[in-house]
Amino acid sequence: MKIIVRSFVIALAVTGAIATSYAKAPSAASKVTISKTSAMPVPTCAPGSGSCGMDGW
Amino acid sequence: MASFSLLSLLGYLETALCAAALCVLIFKKQWRDYAALSCFLAVRMVSNVALTYLHYAWGHSLWSLSRDTVYSLYFYVYWATFAVEAVLTLLIVYGVFRLAMAPLKGLQTLGMLVFKWAAGISVAVALGSAFAPNVKGTALVIAAVSQLQRTQSILTLCLLLFVCFAVRPMGLSYSSRIFGVSLGLGIMSTNDLVQSAWLAFNPKMATAYNLINGVVVCVIMATWTAYFALPEPKRRLIVLPTTSPFLRWNQISQALGDSPGFVAVGGVPPDLFAPAELEVMRRASLKMVTPFPSMGERSIAASASRAI
Repeated sequence: MKIIVRSFVIALAVTGAIATSYAKAPSAASKVTISKTSAMPVPTCAPGSGSCGMDGW
Repeated sequence: MASFSLLSLLGYLETALCAAALCVLIFKKQWRDYAALSCFLAVRMVSNVALTYLHYAWGHSLWSLSRDTVYSLYFYVYWATFAVEAVLTLLIVYGVFRLAMAPLKGLQTLGMLVFKWAAGISVAVALGSAFAPNVKGTALVIAAVSQLQRTQSILTLCLLLFVCFAVRPMGLSYSSRIFGVSLGLGIMSTNDLVQSAWLAFNPKMATAYNLINGVVVCVIMATWTAYFALPEPKRRLIVLPTTSPFLRWNQISQALGDSPGFVAVGGVPPDLFAPAELEVMRRASLKMVTPFPSMGERSIAASASRAI
């Protein structure tokens, strides 16, 4: 049990670290975006310039 | 259509699970210890209800508002609550650390001080890095919130690693609520970071990732509900050897930052004492070899010393 839980937590941390390094890549730096951990549609356009992301649902 | 139904279903399920977790937390009277988590769940529940309603209003042209106005409302509610949730998550991390370290008060105080500084500097750097020459207005808001969220995710993962490896030395177990809350936060943070990388390379797959988001958040809410609903095992007795460096550091940390006491070493006029105190001192001095002088004797001695 202890080994399973520790392995899972280490896997989470390593995945997070790798994802951080990918998101910091120069090609991605200008377009990195993030959203809530939620199924709700993500509004990414500024108000008045369309309604992006709202058609998802 | 299937995707539409599944996303809507996940959205409603998330709100329901969020409400369930909050109710269990309040019913078990844990909201004092987990105040930030209670606020987080309440904010998320209210924001989910508001966003669902606004999205419905946007799709069905409710009220007399235009779709653009409803979208603006949705945009600001979404990003404002996102920022509030990011700050509350930092407070949850702080609270979990405080609870985990409760038996070692000295190290707890020292750790919380270090955490405050680390979190403060990280947040300042994250918000500062959002400023760029061509980033203004709403783009700046999104960039700042995104950076804040990433900083909070990294801090949360650090806390999860700490709690995971310190859970046994701190007398806790994997059934403890402290570990359950940390695990949920850790899953959420990893998902946020993966999502950030995913959307950077596949921006058109945001809706597809929403499906993963929906599943992940439902798992997290279910985990928290289960941890708070089930009885928590009591913290075990913590036994440290007398030579333990943890014990030594705890003692040192407890002494740090204490406000020192003050001792009057000179220039204390007799008027500073109450007559009763003077009488006590005089009577006590009667038992000494050299008796404590009475008030008259002291005034004579004082005038004589002044004359000299």
